[in-house]
Amino acid sequence: MTRTDPEYGHLVPLLERYAALPADDPGREPLREQLVRGYLPVAQHIARRFSNRGEPLDDLVQVATVGLINAIDRFSPERGHEFFSFAVPTISGEVRRHFRDLGWSMRVPRRLKDLHVSINSTVSELSQNLGRAPRPSEIADKLGIPVAEVLEGLEASEAYRSSSLDEMLSSEQGSATVGELVGEADAELDRVDFRQALRPVLAELPERERTIVLLRFFGNMTQTQIAEEVGISQMHVSRLLAQTLDRMRNRLDPETRAG
Amino acid sequence: MAEPATQGPDASPPRTAGALGTEVSHPRPDAALLAVTGELDTLTAPELDTALRELVAGPHPLLVVDLTGVTFLASSGLAALIQAAHRAEDSDRALHLVVTARAVRRPIEITGSEQLFTLHSDITTALRG
Amino acid sequence: MSDLDSPSVPDLDGASSVELRTSASPALIPTIRAVASDLAARADFDLDAISDLRMAVDEACATLVDVAAAESSLLCTFLVRADRIEVHAVVQTDSADTKVSTDTFGWRVLQTLADDVALEHGGNEDGTGSTVGITLTKHAGDLPR
Repeated sequence: MTRTDPEYGHLVPLLERYAALPADDPGREPLREQLVRGYLPVAQHIARRFSNRGEPLDDLVQVATVGLINAIDRFSPERGHEFFSFAVPTISGEVRRHFRDLGWSMRVPRRLKDLHVSINSTVSELSQNLGRAPRPSEIADKLGIPVAEVLEGLEASEAYRSSSLDEMLSSEQGSATVGELVGEADAELDRVDFRQALRPVLAELPERERTIVLLRFFGNMTQTQIAEEVGISQMHVSRLLAQTLDRMRNRLDPETRAG
Repeated sequence: MAEPATQGPDASPPRTAGALGTEVSHPRPDAALLAVTGELDTLTAPELDTALRELVAGPHPLLVVDLTGVTFLASSGLAALIQAAHRAEDSDRALHLVVTARAVRRPIEITGSEQLFTLHSDITTALRG
Repeated sequence: MSDLDSPSVPDLDGASSVELRTSASPALIPTIRAVASDLAARADFDLDAISDLRMAVDEACATLVDVAAAESSLLCTFLVRADRIEVHAVVQTDSADTKVSTDTFGWRVLQTLADDVALEHGGNEDGTGSTVGITLTKHAGDLPR
């Protein structure tokens, strides 16, 4: 399991010590630095996964490191959780938010961003009171702003609704969205856990499948990079990867398949 | 979407502003989660259909489609979802949809197709099955 | 210029009119439905009615683009009235035999979304071509169904 992972195992007691120190303890700062250095490969790994979206890798690593620091600061070992299952979504959430903010700042001024948040909450309130969907004029009345502004805000919320929803959810959950919390953590935990249990299963795979899995989870390569390497399309890689993972999961823990 | 015929560095499909995003993950060993982002209309419905077929063809008992990132849903997209629900039903599984936006909830409601799906307002509940 | 340029000038009492001409391509439908949605929002439709009109216009246009001739344009006319928006969309077809089938899921959705839908098969006024058009009406909201 992760705790005994040779790469990170020695950091676990440090995490516990860090979490136990009072906020003003002078010992915190050096300890935190040590933790950030130790877990930096995780942040780098996550940053690389987003590196095909046109942002410089250095910037992404920086953003991911901010996420890592947040994760270290907020992690509570006593809850009995694995650090990875908390850190990975926190870090990738930070990177995703970075991309979202880029999108927002390019197209939507901050004023509109705020506006559409207040519009969204007014819409749900009015819908309940009226028993039907409100009109823009009703939203404007309620908020005490001109209808034109509501229209502007509705337009923004139409185009950016999904990200706004992510934002709202994420404010309660560190920097990760709900989807990331459940999805990404699993992907990363798979990577870590598989190291131990995987060897015999891997040995049974056809050579091409084994190569793909190794490149993806141990070589940290993207599906596109693997496609190049193996000489098949990215979609084919994606499909083979999914099938292979399913197969391996079934082999690894057949009892959970019933749930 | 058809398998690209050519391979190599530039084999990734072209992305346009209205393009659909589909991403499969496995938050639990027994669950397959398809996250969809973008607008679901006649242009993108075939892509959704492909992703749904692969989702349902998989062995996972719990099938979840996250539609929170979908900003428009036309009958063509809805038809793909309904067909997927029927296919899932053939193997005694339900298709769980995560739906928050009016743009998605509205077409499902007015067509009465909500009985065909198990609807959830967030992923966490959907993953409880 | 195309034959679609000879519209029957509608009775414009108190209504404002918006015309939109594109090639009859699915790639342009997002633009058309965005205009529909914007007009409805500016006409103070309730949010469900705005969504409904956006979807209805999408369904109507998708239906027409599907049967349109290769070089056809798609002409959408929006009449914004006090309490409703009327939309007329029309494409050219290859032959007068081209029919839009109304027993599809899409058509059923369209009927549910709009307060009123009608299909028109016709020829152009100079008799050189054939067209298929859809007229739909959507009320501002709160209309009993």
